[in-house]
Amino acid sequence: MDEPALIRDAQHGDLDAFNSLVLAYQDTVYNTALRILSDEDLAADASQEAFLSAFRALNSYRGGSFRAWLLRTVTNACYDELRRKKRRPTTPLEPDSDDGEEVESPRWLADPSASPEQQLEREELEHAIQHCLDALPADFRTVVVLADIQGLDYTEVARAARVPLGTIKSRLARARLRLRECLQAFRELLPAAFRLEKESGL
Amino acid sequence: MKTPTLRDIERLSAFLDGQLSRADAARLESRIKTDRELAAALDDLRQARAVLRRTPQRRAPRNFTLTPKMAGIKPPVPRAAPVLSWASAVAMLFFVCTLGTNLLGRLSFGAPASLAAAPSGMGGGYGGGPADTNATQPPASVESALPGTATPEAPPYQAPGPTIAAPGMGGAEGYSTPAPETRAVQPPETTGNKRAEPVNPWPYIWLGLAAALIGSAMLVRWAGKRAFRRKASPKQKP
Repeated sequence: MDEPALIRDAQHGDLDAFNSLVLAYQDTVYNTALRILSDEDLAADASQEAFLSAFRALNSYRGGSFRAWLLRTVTNACYDELRRKKRRPTTPLEPDSDDGEEVESPRWLADPSASPEQQLEREELEHAIQHCLDALPADFRTVVVLADIQGLDYTEVARAARVPLGTIKSRLARARLRLRECLQAFRELLPAAFRLEKESGL
Repeated sequence: MKTPTLRDIERLSAFLDGQLSRADAARLESRIKTDRELAAALDDLRQARAVLRRTPQRRAPRNFTLTPKMAGIKPPVPRAAPVLSWASAVAMLFFVCTLGTNLLGRLSFGAPASLAAAPSGMGGGYGGGPADTNATQPPASVESALPGTATPEAPPYQAPGPTIAAPGMGGAEGYSTPAPETRAVQPPETTGNKRAEPVNPWPYIWLGLAAALIGSAMLVRWAGKRAFRRKASPKQKP
């Protein structure tokens, strides 16, 4: 994929070129929104809104990491969703089982390529991380998601979150500390490979 | 050894990400070597980051590609747009011209106006009463409505034979045959004043032009939209 050429064409109004970029980045954008919002439907809405805003504001892109620029757009969309959610809090409806009880992990969300054990490990890890992320304030959560989950550098995170670099350093350190404490509670639940033991490589 | 402060934690976090200057990093490293608490805090941060980096990535539940409608893109304007954008206005002008030509034609040629006046003139001839020789005179209204067909200098119109009382026909004194209806209103052909009603072609020309203009505008617009739709259909997820 010739990203600079696609961006250039998209800036001239070529929707096909922009849609090629959407297909390349939609998983990244959706996962970022999902971790910040902790809601699949809201994350999908925010992702769609982010791509729409990105297309409209594409001429404001002045080079650099396009991925970081897109993540900045989705971060803004997530903040909008969070503000909306705050104004109109809702209770999510989970699908019912045959017994009439709510199913937290519906069948259609399962990844068919993974074995049941792998699937279980994956779900437990994801659940633990999301639970701890949800316990963080939204500003901290955004910084952690962008820096540690999406791997942006401090400057890119600062640009995406629109806060000074020093604030990013501070928020990230505090967020990591809180997450460490929170994840300790899930130590037994986490699969062996993820048991908060010494990381081999740094 | 003492519990690391929040400032220490910030430094450790930045150190972990390689965001400290070389001098600051060297200073912190020397502290970590001597301070167990600081080393333990660094391990905690490192492990938390490792777990976060292994967060399972989900696939997007659907495609987020944009359609032209979502993006607010309109079909490209055809090259003939500057001309065609005035098509409706020009067509309206043609229509007004058609009406105007028609009306002027009626007034100048006069035939329709004479026909419009005819019923009042015919009323005298069709009064239902017995017709007499006087009834054979064309009504004054008809004469006045037909300029050129009857002038004051022209000899008074006389109806042909059927209206003249036939002497010696069974003693029917004063009998006169009823005048045929057509002859009561139509001037005699022998006068040579009757003209064939001319057909005015301009209304049809204007209408034809208007229809052609609107038709071509619609055709060009439709072709442009069709080409745009074909080109801008959204891609499918691979």
